[in-house]
Amino acid sequence: MTNRKIREAGLNPVLGYLFGTTACILLTEYVFLKTAFAKYLVILICISFQFKLSEKNRTDFLLLTFGDKINTTIRIFENLIIAVPFIAILTYKSFILEAIALILCSIMFALFSFHASFTFKIPTPFSKKPFEFSTGFRKTFFIFPLAYTLTVVAVYVDNLNLGIFALSLIFLTTLSYYAKPEHEYYVWVYAATPKMFLKNKVLNASKNATLLTAPILITLLTFYTAELELIVVFYLIGHLFLWTIILAKYSAYPGEMNLPEGVVIALSLYFPPLLLAIIPFFYIKSINKLKFLLNDKNQ
Amino acid sequence: MIKINELSKGFGNNEVLKNISMEFSKGNVYGIIGENGAGKTTLFRCIAGLESYNGEILSDITPLKNHLGLLLTEPFFFSKITGREYIQLLCNARGKTNLKIDNKNIFDLPLDQYASTYSTGMKKKLAITAILLQENEYFIFDEPFNGVDIQRNILLTEIILKLKELNKIVLISSHIFSTLSDTCDVIHLLRKGDQIKSFQKQDFNNLEQEMKNITIGNSIEKLELK
Repeated sequence: MTNRKIREAGLNPVLGYLFGTTACILLTEYVFLKTAFAKYLVILICISFQFKLSEKNRTDFLLLTFGDKINTTIRIFENLIIAVPFIAILTYKSFILEAIALILCSIMFALFSFHASFTFKIPTPFSKKPFEFSTGFRKTFFIFPLAYTLTVVAVYVDNLNLGIFALSLIFLTTLSYYAKPEHEYYVWVYAATPKMFLKNKVLNASKNATLLTAPILITLLTFYTAELELIVVFYLIGHLFLWTIILAKYSAYPGEMNLPEGVVIALSLYFPPLLLAIIPFFYIKSINKLKFLLNDKNQ
Repeated sequence: MIKINELSKGFGNNEVLKNISMEFSKGNVYGIIGENGAGKTTLFRCIAGLESYNGEILSDITPLKNHLGLLLTEPFFFSKITGREYIQLLCNARGKTNLKIDNKNIFDLPLDQYASTYSTGMKKKLAITAILLQENEYFIFDEPFNGVDIQRNILLTEIILKLKELNKIVLISSHIFSTLSDTCDVIHLLRKGDQIKSFQKQDFNNLEQEMKNITIGNSIEKLELK
């Protein structure tokens, strides 16, 4: 499956793995350089990948096909395979205890089918304009109490970086809501020009992200008044990334975002001012991609 | 009015629709029938603007797609969206506000449950409710009766007749002939992308007989059932 995806991105799988590994190493170094909480981020990312593997339909299929014992073995193995690079990172950075905890968590998560118990409706403040945020919020609801708690801890231990991390965590989570292209019907159904469609998407995303980040933003601005500029800059960059990911998604639509979009976004992570050039670029590409489905006669 | 002039559509070397010309007038219900692979769904997708094509599709209200309620054969629902939110999303997309969703929940759907947990029939009913609440001028129902219980099929037939009364244009495909004969004014027969024949209401009996003859042929004898 991964090989196929790499080929679809126009790369030889070997090159793809090489490129992916290099990008991972560079990104890891960067994150560990920037924040003391990188180890938690590593654990969180690993668990979020494993969480996806515990999807009910998937685990049901494995159980029906392979039976109870083999299913458990497969689940433990795949969780450990996912965890290997993350354990390697933690070990390399001398976080041995955290690495052991991650191994134990990986084995434990393999024994549960988490989504099975989440069929109850999780309330969301986004039901009036449902789609990315309403469904995304429900899939990642556990992130928000975590981020808000981190903010309180940040104030308590007087660590602004931790507060900024909590703010970034919310933005990162909202970016994931736009990672996959939706079924064409959900673009086609809009009675809007591509321009109106994108404007609506971007404004709605910003409005919703503001609602989710407001408790953190208000807390940080209250307790770190002297650092107002820094906090506001991080907040605005968060919005810029949100717009970028939305536009990048539709610039590749109906296909998935691929290597070119990924490289451009990764570059802007290192040098955020690049976003100011990338956003118009993705915007123009998106308009062209959406013209057909939205029946824009000015195509 | 919707007018189709010499519509052709191919996927690679496979020509799925060949020089189709049809006209649909307000206040009429049209059936599109044909075997699997005859081109019905592709024709609908072309009308909706989901596929590129050769030829011409004209409508009195433009763009056609913004006034079209499209029921896909298998409506797609993403996870973690409730029935109510699905209706809200589709109506927001058409700028419809002040919805009285609960009053209009004629299929008695559990609107506050996730749509992904609905049965096949319930999903179809939800998709139909949403496109009805969009207040469209044109409707395409691709296999609307499939998977829906008999009581709701009766209700759906009445809804289609009401849409006709409201001067809408309705296109339906169905593999259940009685549902078409109850609702349609004209039925177009497609076969392997060709427009074979059109039947007016008074000729529906002939059409049914003709279809039986073609479809059944001597296949029952071939089985040599004992």
